[in-house]
Amino acid sequence: MTAAPATAPSPRGLRRPGLGLPLILVGCAALMFVCLFPFLWMGLSSIKQLQELYTIPPRWWPDHPTLANYYKVLFQSRIPRYFLNSIIISVGSTGLALILAIFAANGFARFRFKGRSFLQACILVGQLLPTAAIIVPLFITLRVLGLVNTYWGLILVYMIITLPLSVWMLTSYFKAIPIELEEAAIIDGASRVGILFRITLPLSLPGIVAVLVYAFITTWNEFVFALCFATDSSVKTLPIGLAEFSTEFNTDWGAVMAASMVMTVPIALVFLVFQKLFVGGLTAGATKG
Amino acid sequence: MRPNPGLLFVLPALIVLFMLIAYPVAYTGILSVTNEQGQFTGLQNFADVLRPRVTTQALWNTLWWVGGSIVFQVLLGVATAVLLNQTFPGRAIIRSVALIPWIIPGIVAATTWAWMFHTEFGIINYMLTGVGVLPEPIGWLTGGQTVMPAMIAINVWKLFPFVAIMVLAGLQAIPQELYEAARVDGANYWEEVRHVMLPQIRPVIVAVTLLLVIWGLNAITIIYAITRGGPANRTLITPIQIFRLAFENVEFNQAAALSVMFFGVVMLIVLVYIKALANQPGDNQ
Repeated sequence: MTAAPATAPSPRGLRRPGLGLPLILVGCAALMFVCLFPFLWMGLSSIKQLQELYTIPPRWWPDHPTLANYYKVLFQSRIPRYFLNSIIISVGSTGLALILAIFAANGFARFRFKGRSFLQACILVGQLLPTAAIIVPLFITLRVLGLVNTYWGLILVYMIITLPLSVWMLTSYFKAIPIELEEAAIIDGASRVGILFRITLPLSLPGIVAVLVYAFITTWNEFVFALCFATDSSVKTLPIGLAEFSTEFNTDWGAVMAASMVMTVPIALVFLVFQKLFVGGLTAGATKG
Repeated sequence: MRPNPGLLFVLPALIVLFMLIAYPVAYTGILSVTNEQGQFTGLQNFADVLRPRVTTQALWNTLWWVGGSIVFQVLLGVATAVLLNQTFPGRAIIRSVALIPWIIPGIVAATTWAWMFHTEFGIINYMLTGVGVLPEPIGWLTGGQTVMPAMIAINVWKLFPFVAIMVLAGLQAIPQELYEAARVDGANYWEEVRHVMLPQIRPVIVAVTLLLVIWGLNAITIIYAITRGGPANRTLITPIQIFRLAFENVEFNQAAALSVMFFGVVMLIVLVYIKALANQPGDNQ
């Protein structure tokens, strides 16, 4: 970003040294191979017929590409239902966490009150919680409340994952907005909530999108809570559906790879569309301390 | 006295988090010292859960899993960040693509790599025997010696992009003057890496390592989906043991006792790290 233009005159001794071009090329090629090869293999395997999957030695390209695996996943399995469940739960949990986080971040960013730093630290510790240590009591609590195997159960539980970081990220976005704007609004007679919705939120739209994308991706990918609290197929999410596919004795690898594709593509698209905001939001905290 | 408006804004989120975190944590404590009928049994559950040899084995497996993962995640992550900190055409695309392993669901990484590690039909054995690295196919996921390294490799692949992106942000925040000063002193590129970049990104690495420790300790997905802790408990880590005690053996109280110990150890690590972070020079808090 701050690199000087290549044409800028610079004293020879002060020219920015760097890696040689060959080294960069080799490094990037290796990086791309490591990152993308599993997806390439997933894609190739998902369009192979059974006998082509189970040949020794394995074959790179399918001779007779087929969509039968996708047909099986989309029309003969419960994956579409799980897809719907995943969307309902992710959207619900993300939305709820965002609403709570907006108010909390506003409070942390704009007010001084007793115990503020302590409460902020508590929220950060919430992010560092070992989830495995609380699955047992959470399960019992959800059972008492009748929320095991319901959408609401998972939506609530997922806020453990999404809420702390959402509050943390939004607080740093809100702090970056010049306070003079809000003071001007106060003089004009706006209420605290009015300021939040008319001034702070529109100005921190990138931060809100970053939080939404982060929360959506983490809940979409979550496995352990879903495994414990959603055992009925009416609420199971995609990750559980995929695990069911692949842990039976006769794993149908073609269908598993097709289901993996179905699960990967939406999340990869969401990420690639929003990645600039997303990465900016995540790393802002890391560099600003 | 009128309540502070700031507190009112913060309260809803705090109440939700308290219900979802503080209450379960306290409840785990109660469960760990009672039996199924709710009678107080002292430390009986702790003794019961510590007695079997498998608990010790799970603890060692957990250390091995977290430690092995972190070393390679940080090394590969920093190397990737240093590479992507160079300016070259196409860098933006490579940077986004490199993040994809981190974005995709853990379960997808698990199934895809399980298929690639397959003993007979897996592409990894095919490639390695093809170029002569291996004389014959290896049962990666069935052999006691290879299964944990394979799991660690998958975990490293999944998370090194996260390290890379955080370290890269740290590298880009280094003031230009530091590089210029190094160049005036006649530093070459590798001396710059060693004396300017690495010291400057130390705080980022410390912070990221803490997250990696926590994530490693929470990472049930990859191992559970591929081996469920087998073969012969070779990949059984403590979180999976808690899960199996609770949901397969239905020993909620013993699972709670193990959870309490697990929780204590994790919180200790977090405290030590936060102290280390706070003691770093140049902290602008």
